[in-house]
Amino acid sequence: MSILMPEFDKAVMARRGDIVTALRAIVPGEGVICESRELVPYETDGLTAYRQPPLVVVLPETTAQVAAVLRYCHDNGIKVVPRGAGTSLSGGALPLGDGVLLGLGKFKRIRDIDFDNRVVVTEPGVTNLAISQAVAHAGFYYAPDPSSQIACTIGGNVAENAGGVHCLKYGVTSNNVLGCEIVLMNGEIVRIGGKGCEQPGYDLLGVVNGSEGLLGVITEITVRILQKPATARALMVGFASVEAAGACVAEVIGGGIIPGGMEMMDRLAIHAAEAFVHAGYPLDVEALLLVELDGPVAEVDALIGRVEAIARGCGATTVQVSHSEEERLLFWAGRKAAFPAVGRISPDYLCMDGTIPRGKLPEALARIRELSVKYGLQVANVFHAGDGNLHPLILYDANVPGEMDRAEACGADILRACVDLGGVLTGEHGVGIEKRDLMPTMFSEIDLKQQQRLKCAFDSGGLLNPGKVFPTLHCCAELGYMHVHGGKLAFPDLPRF
Amino acid sequence: MMDLDILKVRDASDVEDAVRAALAAGRPLEIVGHGSKRVLGRPVDAAAVLDLSALAAVTLYEPHELVLTVAAGAALTDVVTLLADHGQQLAFEPMDVRPLLGGEDAGTIGGMLGAALSGPRRIKAGGARDHFLGFSAVSGFGETFKAGGRVVKNVTGYDLCKLMAGSWGTLAVMTEVTLKVLPKAEAETTLMLRGLDAATANRAMTAALGSPHDVSGAAHLPASGLRGPCAGLAAGAATTLVRVEGIDVSVADRVAALRRELAGFGAVEAIEGEPSKAAWQAIRDVVPFAAGGALGAWPVWRIVCPPARGCALGEELARESGGEAVYDCGGGLIWLALPPLPDAGAALVHARAGAAGGHAMLFRAAAPLRASVAVFPPLASGLAALNRRVKVGFDPHDLFNRGRLHAMTEAS
Ligand SMILES: Cc1cc2nc3c(=O)[nH]c(=O)nc-3n(C[C@H](O)[C@H](O)[C@H](O)COP(=O)(O)OP(=O)(O)OC[C@H]3O[C@@H](n4cnc5c(N)ncnc54)[C@H](O)[C@@H]3O)c2cc1C
Repeated sequence: MSILMPEFDKAVMARRGDIVTALRAIVPGEGVICESRELVPYETDGLTAYRQPPLVVVLPETTAQVAAVLRYCHDNGIKVVPRGAGTSLSGGALPLGDGVLLGLGKFKRIRDIDFDNRVVVTEPGVTNLAISQAVAHAGFYYAPDPSSQIACTIGGNVAENAGGVHCLKYGVTSNNVLGCEIVLMNGEIVRIGGKGCEQPGYDLLGVVNGSEGLLGVITEITVRILQKPATARALMVGFASVEAAGACVAEVIGGGIIPGGMEMMDRLAIHAAEAFVHAGYPLDVEALLLVELDGPVAEVDALIGRVEAIARGCGATTVQVSHSEEERLLFWAGRKAAFPAVGRISPDYLCMDGTIPRGKLPEALARIRELSVKYGLQVANVFHAGDGNLHPLILYDANVPGEMDRAEACGADILRACVDLGGVLTGEHGVGIEKRDLMPTMFSEIDLKQQQRLKCAFDSGGLLNPGKVFPTLHCCAELGYMHVHGGKLAFPDLPRF
Repeated sequence: MMDLDILKVRDASDVEDAVRAALAAGRPLEIVGHGSKRVLGRPVDAAAVLDLSALAAVTLYEPHELVLTVAAGAALTDVVTLLADHGQQLAFEPMDVRPLLGGEDAGTIGGMLGAALSGPRRIKAGGARDHFLGFSAVSGFGETFKAGGRVVKNVTGYDLCKLMAGSWGTLAVMTEVTLKVLPKAEAETTLMLRGLDAATANRAMTAALGSPHDVSGAAHLPASGLRGPCAGLAAGAATTLVRVEGIDVSVADRVAALRRELAGFGAVEAIEGEPSKAAWQAIRDVVPFAAGGALGAWPVWRIVCPPARGCALGEELARESGGEAVYDCGGGLIWLALPPLPDAGAALVHARAGAAGGHAMLFRAAAPLRASVAVFPPLASGLAALNRRVKVGFDPHDLFNRGRLHAMTEAS
């Protein structure tokens, strides 16, 4: 476990009793949790190798309570970590031992379903899937579909700018969010955007999406909903080499076809998935491509034909086309279960999340193979091929001394390779703590300082989710950030240069 | 415009030098590409012009990867042509401001992103912000920084691209930008309904957009808004337009379905191919209010609001001011031309747009008017303060396009 978190503030920890009392005055009843036994469920998120019980957990139910909690923490110099469902794979919701964990689990209400404007206004603790379910009776759905959608919250989706299989065609979270309400660390409530397609002022919505809990606590979200496509069909295509599969992906996209989803798995992932769900995957191929076309029936039928022709032209060894909804879902069953399937063949695994330019798929896989040999660890590859988002799963056993460190080192090298190939460290899971120390491979000191100046505009004391995303914590004055009070710069009378 | 020093930079390092010199000397800069959008926003208080038009190189264009990297001063028309040669496009249909503003130049990519003026396809494909993948820029600290990348799926650090899109050159000087590009549709058809009143037209557009038929444009031009020729659309009758794009069989399929769905609103006509393209270009560029047309002298507002209320809001504003409105984005984008009023109708338009859950920008007006009224919507106090702090985080000395968004007194 090589990631260091900021040192605990002993003075704050010593005031724990007072803090609990003060929080209880804001959130009465069971909304404040401080028994160590009851803190256990909160001590980690989806990155389970890292654990840390928080100082205390608070579960407010209203925006006013969130504001009061944050104002209190702000005034008393107490750190706060926001949390949705705790499914983050990058440690974004990992608690701090000297910090309050602020859970949004009680924000469970959908506030407004507006079919005429094609939006849903919801509280952040509602799960991703629940939004689609709430509008399904009218044929609508919310498009971004992370695999964790039954559990993860829409607030966590916004904070991570989550993606999913269908984001290739319909965009990631930030392309589907029109407005939000956030509470700043000082307790101020700010509303950004609404039901229109643009917001006045700077596009702050754009930076709140993907802010990883560092800019504000999201207390309401307005999302765009879409009519469900008339039909969806999938192709399952096997290739004798990952190069051939990669070429097929490039030709489909380059040929002007944007499938609803386009996913790839390598041999190890195919075998693990097939053993787990018996989806009928071919076992004698090196790469399997799942391509889903959705839309009007005539369009889907025509595009299925085109994709099939491209696949055969790229040397596909097997091509199957779904002819029923059951068959389509069966094709997907293996892909959707790929993570747990790999979990069955290995005691532990690390899921990486780099993105590369699509055309570099074969090169990236070759590099991953080399690293797998170098570190003596198996790597199964599952990825959103259409947008070049890789999910190498590094298999290891935490009970073998040193293996976890080796797995982390292997993962870091894989991400460095992604950056080297023109890609990025994370496509959808976020930086969190996991990729924090790799940020300098992609960004210069100046780039990171500029990002942190944005943070200063939202949280000048650096109390909201510190220790995440940025490898070095700078105070705002060090960054040259000038304090603005009530909209005015400090020392307004001094010359401005 | 007074005689200002013009700093014609040759490359990104020149930009950094120029910003540093400006910073040291305390001389604010007006950031200009081709100057096509200089008349948008409040008049800028600058000591010199930073001219980026020489930064025009295409650094990377990989049609198969759907990605394009260009210097920020590249001409929008050149980029559009380059993409078209490969059957591709900027899917958000960036507006060409020439018809409405009467200028001769369509501007640069940097200016297009700074203004983020997306066209009719915004309802389906998103806006400029949604296609903006990465950039390099020089901040008001005189530092060159980058953000984003060249891939679509990227959550590494804050998404500063979104922040730069629509920032009107007030945060940093972009020197190079990377955009997602997409294939052009193989076919398009536009269905038209005639003679609908605005309320009914809004309902028709809502029905079309609420259908599964993947509509990529929904606009309404009231009869009185069409006072002259407009891309072959007959003047004298209100026209409601709904566009579908895609492969032939799909367009045919959806057109047939939409005809059935819209039948209750009246007879449905159809145009295809070039006439359809021309109609949407005219809507995108607001040709009904063209500088050279009958309403060319009127101030024009651009109002964004929840789409289902758009026509009601537009009608109300038009009625009270004696103006004209045309509607895009299913009602979610209103272009409003007002007869000359002392404040260009600012008090009325901001108040009504805000009450309807929307916001307005005074898009076309003479400089003295733009200097004296609120061109951009007044923001709630918390949001305004946050905007101000964000500005300070990028450009603490207010070097770039000073006064463009708000008068100094308003900002403080
Ligand atoms: C099996 C599995 C599959 C997954 N598949 C995908 C996938 O396909 N695509 C994908 O993108 N991700 C995926 N994830 C990752 C994860 O589900 C997403 O990142 C999700 O968006 C996190 O939501 P959450 O509610 O669990 O947030 P948490 O994990 O609780 O928090 C995540 C981050 O958001 C912050 N946060 C949460 N709520 C708020 C709020 N209301 N206001 C401010 N900040 C907040 C936290 O501080 C933290 O930094 C997967 C995870 C698992 C375990």
